[in-house]
Amino acid sequence: MSTVSKRIGVVLLIVMGLVGFVSIYYTFNPSQHSFFIPCPFHYMTGYHCPGCGSQRAIHQILHGDLMAAFWINPLLLLSIPILLYAFGQRAYNYVFKTQYRVSFFYHKWFIYGYFGIAILFWIARNIAIYPFTLLSPDYHP
Amino acid sequence: MENMDRPPENNLVWAILSTVMCCWPLGIVAIIKASKVNGLWYQGRFQEAHKAADDAKKWSIYSAASIGVFIILYILIFVVIFAIEGVDGF
Repeated sequence: MSTVSKRIGVVLLIVMGLVGFVSIYYTFNPSQHSFFIPCPFHYMTGYHCPGCGSQRAIHQILHGDLMAAFWINPLLLLSIPILLYAFGQRAYNYVFKTQYRVSFFYHKWFIYGYFGIAILFWIARNIAIYPFTLLSPDYHP
Repeated sequence: MENMDRPPENNLVWAILSTVMCCWPLGIVAIIKASKVNGLWYQGRFQEAHKAADDAKKWSIYSAASIGVFIILYILIFVVIFAIEGVDGF
């Protein structure tokens, strides 16, 4: 039992570290402060990648504005529940020595669906013609 | 220890994380590797399945590492600009 509580402690430490890191994104809006690291792909090519706008979107999510986050990076907003679920499960497995898995991560339709969407999104948000311009992280409704 | 009656953990979550957060095409390679794990396993190619799972993790790490390298280069560029122009000229 003491080892279980030790592992819970490890998880709590990681969570606290993450909360500390994420609070930077709560306090500062990346579109107004220049000390945030830009996306390397955008920095070097000028094009947007599937992850571009993630930092700005996280700021909006932390302030409860999910619509604003959606317009900046819809892929990030849709991925966050999946990531929270998957990492929550990993933490549970670690603490209780179980081996649960996210079952849909092992289905081809999910894997190819997710990455098909990521690649189509990547191409689409770089097309400078309406309605594709709506997918650009710089579009604000 | 590793369960022998089911396929290895395919590490897809890291590939997703590195694609959305690190925006690097290396994350796509990680995905393709992860997608092969189950198929290889059910064909009885256990060692190849494990290798594909390990590769998925490896490419996710490369993706994250490429961001680390970029951050260092990015800071270095500013250091060089400061050195040449001086802080006043920036």
